[in-house]
Amino acid sequence: MSETMLIFGGWVAAGLTIFLFSFLYKDNPFFKVTEHLYLGAGMGWVFQTVLFQTWKPKVWEPLQAGDWTVLIPTVLGLSLVTQFFPRISWISRYGFTFIMGYGSGLVIPLTISTDLLKQIGGTIAPFMVSEISRANIGSLINGSIVAIGFICVLFYFFFSVEHKGVVKKASNIGIYFLMLYFGAAFGNTVMGRFSLLYGRFDDLYKYSAPKYFYATHVILAALVIYFVVDHFRKKKPEIEEEAA
Amino acid sequence: MKNFLEKLLKIDRRLIFLALAILLVFPIVKPLGLPNLNLGSEVKSLYERIEGLPPRSFVLMSLDYDPATRPELHPQAVAILRHAFRKNLRVGILTLNAGATGLIEEIGERIPKDIAPEKVYGKDYVILPYQPNPVAVMTQMGMDLYQIYDKDRDGSPIRDMEVFKGIKNVKDMQLGICITGTAMLDYWIAYTGDKFKFPMAGGVTAVSQMGYAPYLQTGQLKGLVGGMKGAADYETLINHKEKGTSGIDALSLAHLMVIILIVTANIMMLWLKYL
Repeated sequence: MSETMLIFGGWVAAGLTIFLFSFLYKDNPFFKVTEHLYLGAGMGWVFQTVLFQTWKPKVWEPLQAGDWTVLIPTVLGLSLVTQFFPRISWISRYGFTFIMGYGSGLVIPLTISTDLLKQIGGTIAPFMVSEISRANIGSLINGSIVAIGFICVLFYFFFSVEHKGVVKKASNIGIYFLMLYFGAAFGNTVMGRFSLLYGRFDDLYKYSAPKYFYATHVILAALVIYFVVDHFRKKKPEIEEEAA
Repeated sequence: MKNFLEKLLKIDRRLIFLALAILLVFPIVKPLGLPNLNLGSEVKSLYERIEGLPPRSFVLMSLDYDPATRPELHPQAVAILRHAFRKNLRVGILTLNAGATGLIEEIGERIPKDIAPEKVYGKDYVILPYQPNPVAVMTQMGMDLYQIYDKDRDGSPIRDMEVFKGIKNVKDMQLGICITGTAMLDYWIAYTGDKFKFPMAGGVTAVSQMGYAPYLQTGQLKGLVGGMKGAADYETLINHKEKGTSGIDALSLAHLMVIILIVTANIMMLWLKYL
């Protein structure tokens, strides 16, 4: 990438970041433009990636080489587009039928194995004779906590039995386990959001360097001037109205 | 006092945004060098797994993150790549996320520049092109990867590349690492890890880190790097501090501010209610 393009890219990146953050102060046209640009650019990027990295090597090039079999998945895929034309939208059922059949066959057995059976196995594993004979106390305590939490949370979500007596106590303990999970998840969410914010600030700092002709400083100052001018421009008619 | 506290509770939230911005920017301008002493056990597991691999083992890296999660996940990818190259492992990089292609280009440019200048493309590492339909790619990778990838991202045939010597599918590879801000790691675990007994590890955002704990407990995941903290942990382990570590200063200050705000606001509420 040439130096000019690098500097131009820096200005665009710094400008778009600052314009998006400007919403935290108040809504403004720069934010609106950037918001729409973000959606458009994102879609454009995905479109060109699919066109040049999928359609060209997987459809166009095989067809040119005389491999007509690629037409079968291509036609099935194109049939989905008929959804946009009500008179022939029934054709899309063939594409959807293939997706449903293929997807279900692939997903159902593996989900049962990965997310259900293996997880139940993982909860039971610390209590197996082979594990207990190793006298791994730490593993046994951890396993007990996981098993108690697992059973109590299941009780909380079991609605076919009235929650009273032992069942109520178990489901109440389940609530505490859920609260612990939500607390930990929320703490991680806060950390994640701060990391993303830090990443943008780090880039803005990079673009504030002389190499980028102080892009961050210039754009930030221009935006502040805009807000000040906008503030007084809107205030003026209000004063005139009051005087009238 | 009561009036003052009530006014304080109704403070313009934009002032809190400003304070937070200052706290996050300050360590970027002037790094504090706060230590990162508590290394995550799941990060250590991944480090030790890579550390234990014999030279020239093949590590498959699926980098499925886009610019939205770049600050958290890019430092993880760079740190793991650096470690893999240091251990003289072969690395295959691919993506199943269309938004990641630009970031992979960046990694492709960085490898010969500063990550591992001595490594040769095609011999020590390869970058495969983006493919749609992740599930189809993953299942095919378990049978014959050349059926789905016959060329690299530049259009060169991969079958004869030295980096793929002895590799037909994931059963010939020693480790898979998926770094993602989406549910792609779940797919890798189910469709490749569990189905083909392929050891998988992951790098995820802090937001989704908690959800992967069950997979660690059952051994379906061999290690997990979570968020910027995970990246910092990995950088500490390989003794090469970069963006992850520099973010720790900012995160520590921001967390301190949040804790102070929560405690102060609760004390104020209790004061107004009971005193």
